Amino acid sequence: MHWRCRKNRTSKLLTSLATGAVFASFVLLSLVLVSCSGTSEPGEGRAGGALRVNGSTTVNPVVARAAEALRAEEGMEILVDTQGGSSGGISALGDGRIDVAMSSRPLNGHDHERYPDTRFHPVTLGYDAVALTVSRDVWEGGVRSLSRDQVRGLYEGEIVNWKEVGGPDRNVVFFNKEPGRGTWEVFANWLYGSADDAPLVELPEVGSNQEGRSKVGSTPGAVTQLSAAWADGETVFALALVLDDGIVVAPTADHIADDGYPMSRPLMVITDGEPGPQARRLLDFLLASRGQALVAEAGYLPLDTLARNEVARESPAQEGSAQEDPAP
Amino acid sequence: MTSPSPPAVGLTPPLAPRQAPRLSLRGRRIEGLRLVCWAASGLTAATLLGLLALLAVQSLPVWRHEGVRGFLLGDVWFYRGQRFGALPMIYGTTVVAGIALLLAAPLGLGAAVFTAEGISGRARLAVKGAIELLAGVPSVVYGLLGVLVLRDLVFRALRPFDPLSGDTLLTGGVLLAVMILPTVMTFADDALRGVAASQRQAARALGLTRTETTLRVVLPQALPGLLAAVLLGLGRALGETIAVFLVVGRMDNRLPESWLDPTPVAAAGQTLTSKLGGSETFLAYGDPLHWAAITGLALVLLLGVATVTLGGVSLAARGASGSASRSSRGSAVPSSGGGPDASLA
Repeated sequence: MHWRCRKNRTSKLLTSLATGAVFASFVLLSLVLVSCSGTSEPGEGRAGGALRVNGSTTVNPVVARAAEALRAEEGMEILVDTQGGSSGGISALGDGRIDVAMSSRPLNGHDHERYPDTRFHPVTLGYDAVALTVSRDVWEGGVRSLSRDQVRGLYEGEIVNWKEVGGPDRNVVFFNKEPGRGTWEVFANWLYGSADDAPLVELPEVGSNQEGRSKVGSTPGAVTQLSAAWADGETVFALALVLDDGIVVAPTADHIADDGYPMSRPLMVITDGEPGPQARRLLDFLLASRGQALVAEAGYLPLDTLARNEVARESPAQEGSAQEDPAP
Repeated sequence: MTSPSPPAVGLTPPLAPRQAPRLSLRGRRIEGLRLVCWAASGLTAATLLGLLALLAVQSLPVWRHEGVRGFLLGDVWFYRGQRFGALPMIYGTTVVAGIALLLAAPLGLGAAVFTAEGISGRARLAVKGAIELLAGVPSVVYGLLGVLVLRDLVFRALRPFDPLSGDTLLTGGVLLAVMILPTVMTFADDALRGVAASQRQAARALGLTRTETTLRVVLPQALPGLLAAVLLGLGRALGETIAVFLVVGRMDNRLPESWLDPTPVAAAGQTLTSKLGGSETFLAYGDPLHWAAITGLALVLLLGVATVTLGGVSLAARGASGSASRSSRGSAVPSSGGGPDASLA
């Protein structure tokens, strides 16, 4: 480039500007291209590299520890993340950004609608329940169970003081689980029949189980929806539900197993189509005795403790061997 | 920071337009370098423009669905009902950043006056270093400290007002104040040090006391730089996510009854960043309208931060070039003329 324009600063400036513009349009173009390619092509990059797992913070403790064992013993590369909870995991799977989704709620029509090309292949690892958990002062103030109407009143902000449901004279602080979390969906399905019918509420939100537990544990008058296994009975306490016929059921293993507790749910890992070789190894580990021991250790119900009819579930366990001997 | 050789002048062409290279000396080599430098700055600018264009295109459906007014001024965000109003989040961001500025600006400017005018030598370096170290603390650490300490403190402090929990807009604002303090302080210090030493000497020679010199001579001259420091702090406050996310409560649709009503400040709220950082972003992925609403929020946030930051940078440049044109500070303070923009590079 020989341009002799030392005396003419303007033209030089223009040349520089033009170069800048060329670069700018180049970057712009590449950005647009990247953004376009990012959303298509599900399943890309799944062949090589680590097994990518993402989703529910409820399922996470089990899968994370299984992954640890597989890493240590078989040198497998597994990345486990909990971005966005169950729905985050399912949509990441639908977009082909991960290989295995963790979910603490059954798949629903929206998932299939949104990702028609994804062949969701769920495998149930165990069972858990969503409990309404409260802080110590509420528990010690005498609140031990709630009816569906009472829960609705608390959720929709009609009940603002715990004494209205037989508790201490204290403001109700409802930490709502973020929509999109499996826990919230199970809760909304129970309360309103369908998560789509849940009304607009003004509540502070919490995300992961850890966050829910720590915020409820440290706030007087607090209540949140939380995996029953995470209610430690020291800082947060799981309430029983009063069913419509007046029977009181606590989210205990027995009541989850006999389907007496209404907000029980399967804990699942989901793949797109039949699991690949790496995902297969993870699944085999989770469904075998050591994986199932991890399920029990995390406070959930392993498959073989289940005495209920599996057909009733939308996503029955794929491995028949794991549930041969129901023993409550 | 920058190489001392003459061609380096071209590295920041928009900020130092007066210092065009002397063409008679180096000829073509400088021309080539200039070209590369222009290309580099063009690339940087293009990244921002590209980002804006991308967000604008992706958020198009929500602008169509709600209308520009409806989206920006709508007071209900309810994705299951396909209603997307961003005002409560814009309000939350404004309040949180406003509280942060209210607390951090006086503190930061005060500290800067102290380090720039009050002390010198090692003591100055120690104090300034300590404050600048604060800037390097990852924001998630601030967030965790906020959860562990600040939530309880705010909860107790607000007890007369019967708050529901310690997760409030106020908590987010106080936490942000701590986070932007080093930004405000460092840039303000640079602005003050950028005032020519001869000005101070002249003022002292005329019989002004040290306090008078600072108040009447140094502060007025450094004013654009000080404002820039505050604006750059504000820019950081607007964009900060994770720390705010952890303590702000993330309650949708909170607006005051009237614009003077302070009650929502002591209650949980939602900011643009806490919304974008939440799981709804993942939920929205795959639903065009919902996704557009999320990118719309991102666009609003980016425009806000960009405006404030550009304002700050241009003020800083004005301040720096102003003091540089008056007279150089001499060898006492190397690279003082660069001021805030030098640290920005």
